Amino acid sequence: MRTLLSERIVASAISNPQFVVLSGDHGYALFDALRAQRPNQFLNVGIAEQAMVGYAAGLAKTGFRPLVYGLSAFVPLRVLEQIKLDVCYPALPVIFLGDGAGLVYSTLGSSHQCGEDIACLRPLPNIAIYSPCDAYELATCFDEALHSKTASYIRIGKSDRPAVNLMPPSTTEPYFTHESSSTKLCVISSGSLVSVAKDLGEKLDIPTMSVPRIQPFPQQLAKSLLRFQFLVILEEHSRFGGLFSSLAETMSEMEAKDRPRFFSLSLKNQFAEKCGSYQYALAEHALSDRDIERRLLEIIHSIA
Amino acid sequence: MNFDPKLLRRHVLNMAYNGGSVHIGCAFSLIEIMSLLYAEILTFDPQNPKSENRDYLVLSKGHGVMAQYACFREIGWLTDEHLRSYLSDGSLLHGLSESHTVGCEVSSGSLGHGLPIAVGIALGLKMRGNQKRVFCIVGDGELNEGPNWEALAFASHHQLSNLWVIVDANAFQAMGRSQDVLNMEPMVDKFRAFGLASEECSGHDMGALRKTITHLEQEKPKALVARTVKGKGITFMENDNQWHYTRLDKNLLDACLKELA
Repeated sequence: MRTLLSERIVASAISNPQFVVLSGDHGYALFDALRAQRPNQFLNVGIAEQAMVGYAAGLAKTGFRPLVYGLSAFVPLRVLEQIKLDVCYPALPVIFLGDGAGLVYSTLGSSHQCGEDIACLRPLPNIAIYSPCDAYELATCFDEALHSKTASYIRIGKSDRPAVNLMPPSTTEPYFTHESSSTKLCVISSGSLVSVAKDLGEKLDIPTMSVPRIQPFPQQLAKSLLRFQFLVILEEHSRFGGLFSSLAETMSEMEAKDRPRFFSLSLKNQFAEKCGSYQYALAEHALSDRDIERRLLEIIHSIA
Repeated sequence: MNFDPKLLRRHVLNMAYNGGSVHIGCAFSLIEIMSLLYAEILTFDPQNPKSENRDYLVLSKGHGVMAQYACFREIGWLTDEHLRSYLSDGSLLHGLSESHTVGCEVSSGSLGHGLPIAVGIALGLKMRGNQKRVFCIVGDGELNEGPNWEALAFASHHQLSNLWVIVDANAFQAMGRSQDVLNMEPMVDKFRAFGLASEECSGHDMGALRKTITHLEQEKPKALVARTVKGKGITFMENDNQWHYTRLDKNLLDACLKELA
């Protein structure tokens, strides 16, 4: 995923001299190729994320296409007001890339973990939100963001999970990662946990879906899910304001006799308690690969 | 176009009275700065406020926006009707500057935003080889905000010689004297320590302003500390911080207009 990201960034810089990358002293190896091939289109602004968003807005006002890179704990979280006022309000085409989302930086603790980035951006006008699950989805999301006339946020979570796709999907619309004839239960996921859902879907023969674009929320998705009795929403993000919320909000406004019942498998409303590996940190939220399988089986048994 | 400070102050007073607006003192301290910039310094196209060939004026201290609206009225970007309907339901102009308003480069009022954007514009112009300049007006109280200092360090590091920071140093902020709330002095020394060319002068002496703006060292980003008086121009408003918040009634308006006649 990171290799593709680096390639996409370099290709964008080569094909468009107006494309500039700003980083707040993060992402060293990610930008090696860019710095080697287009040094004038990479700007390490120093450890100063707030002003960095202002620079990006100023560059966009003079015709550049800035990509602002940071860890999701800082971009968008630390700079939310700058994104709102400097970029979204004047509808400037800035791409924000939030790396290490969720619990990727498990050993670094709560300062570097981020389960609320999607939630804090969703109420803002003029910004699309993407949460790709693998390099192929990332390619599609990146290209869409690159051609947008307004801002985009791309959430990069755990990037070394197995790829879900064999090629980039043609759109950022939701799609089945495992299809099944069952209409009882469907697992809907986005980002880092899509591959976990897909593996379980194949193992247990239940349909699973990926939602690469959270905002604008794909309205057709809610409609297409009405045929299921139960929905499990799986995300490495707080249940407040993420995929679960987006779907629940959309479905709550639909005319439907029988709505599916929802189960949320998401980050708990708590900070890291102890230090440990990525799987250990996920386990604190009952979201390790093993936890997810166990909880999914419990749901299946409870509704049987 | 008439940028006579007395006329601009009269525009502000009429707007403030019509709209029941506060922030009169904040606008009055930067009238001469605005007047000089629009009359003599800035390149702009009265027919096209978004002209690519313009110098940028970023008002980061959005609380003084009425002074800028007064200039826009003289340029023709705003009409008397805009000024008459100020702050009324459905009107165009907000009480703080908004990037949607013709002539306003940024949305401010939330402080510490304008200077980083101005720095981004200055960088973008330099990268394009565009010779146009960027002027950014900040308040001395606004300098409490951290992103300003991030942006100043950046401007110095990248030698953004096309950037002029002008501090409307009226010595007050919302809740009191700046030196009592959070003392940012000595500002000129701070700017110099950050690598900018910096001088101070009276912000109401057009000759001193003109000289300082044009004589600061060309190779560096520049910071001019304009020593101003909050509420300048109306005797009973000067250095009285209640004119950050107080609204005009008809009697006060008449008294003010008489003083500016």
